[in-house]
Amino acid sequence: MILDLKTWIFVCAALLVAAGCATPPPPVVPPAPKSYVVLMDNQDGTVGQLSVSSTGGEILLNKSHSGVDLDGTGTTPYTVDESRINRDFAEAFSAQPPLPVSFVLHYNIGDTVLTVESQAMIPAILEAAKNRPAPDVSVIGHTDTMGTVEANEILGLQRAKSVAEIIKNAGLNVHDLTISSHGEKNLMVITLDNTPEPKNRRVEITIR
Amino acid sequence: MIHTTLMLILMLLAGSPAWAQDAIGFVKTVSGSAEVIDTGKAVKAQVGMPIKTGNTLKTGPGGTLGITFKDNTVMSFGPDTELTVDEYLYAPETDNLKFGTSVAKGSLQVVSGAIAKLKPKSVTMKTPTGTIGIRGTHYLVKIEP
Repeated sequence: MILDLKTWIFVCAALLVAAGCATPPPPVVPPAPKSYVVLMDNQDGTVGQLSVSSTGGEILLNKSHSGVDLDGTGTTPYTVDESRINRDFAEAFSAQPPLPVSFVLHYNIGDTVLTVESQAMIPAILEAAKNRPAPDVSVIGHTDTMGTVEANEILGLQRAKSVAEIIKNAGLNVHDLTISSHGEKNLMVITLDNTPEPKNRRVEITIR
Repeated sequence: MIHTTLMLILMLLAGSPAWAQDAIGFVKTVSGSAEVIDTGKAVKAQVGMPIKTGNTLKTGPGGTLGITFKDNTVMSFGPDTELTVDEYLYAPETDNLKFGTSVAKGSLQVVSGAIAKLKPKSVTMKTPTGTIGIRGTHYLVKIEP
């Protein structure tokens, strides 16, 4: 049987009306969004920022616990409650490695011998590394701006090496060790050239 | 140049094993099934295993994994999670800083490190539906496949 267009439209409309009368349309319930990102407090209590971009546009998250759905169109941030966070991330939390810690050791002018105060920090450094899984350590030597760039590159390296020796001799079991020098290129306190500055004569040791 | 040479010599002197020289991070925690996929080859994750650029990190049902990167970024994964490290450059002295990852599925926590602090716009995480730009921060991502 072939129906012309008008008849088709009539049949379709009749079916729609019949369907509408028989059962009221179910309320529209959007599926619970499952993919999302949520911004958390930093360890020091500050809160950073996330920009989340998708075809729906770009939005900025800058409040603690504020989140947005990652469904490709999410543009409305909302507060994610603690119970949802714990439900979705308890296992990820349980796997978190210890956060890295850094120490700064200081030197007298031009030499590679730690100041008395810095010498006294060594036990705390060893203690920080003790219970970490596969501790990897970086040691970076720095100098002030006294002398040439080249000489300071070498002095920074000597300082870093001496600290690495101290912690190794103290029995620290290091999984991986990286030693480097920033010479006078990464000053803690910005100074003119050829300026003695105790705060710049340092070794930074980070234990991960 | 001098710096690179000195660094190389020092690394040799320090006796870093060859496998660790291009490491960008290390596995720190593992439970249940978890693997590191390096150039197509999956290896069971173990504490101390080095992570390299291009690696995919994957947990199975019930598995978890924790990684600490050289810039102090700390990531931890819940079960059924998959993340690839697309780009990782950490050379603050030459301002070469980049950290790009892609997450395919799962749940993860990220505590950002030095790259996000030094050069915020260079840290991104791709998701199946878009991109997250990270500006020095702690965050959680959940992706349902």
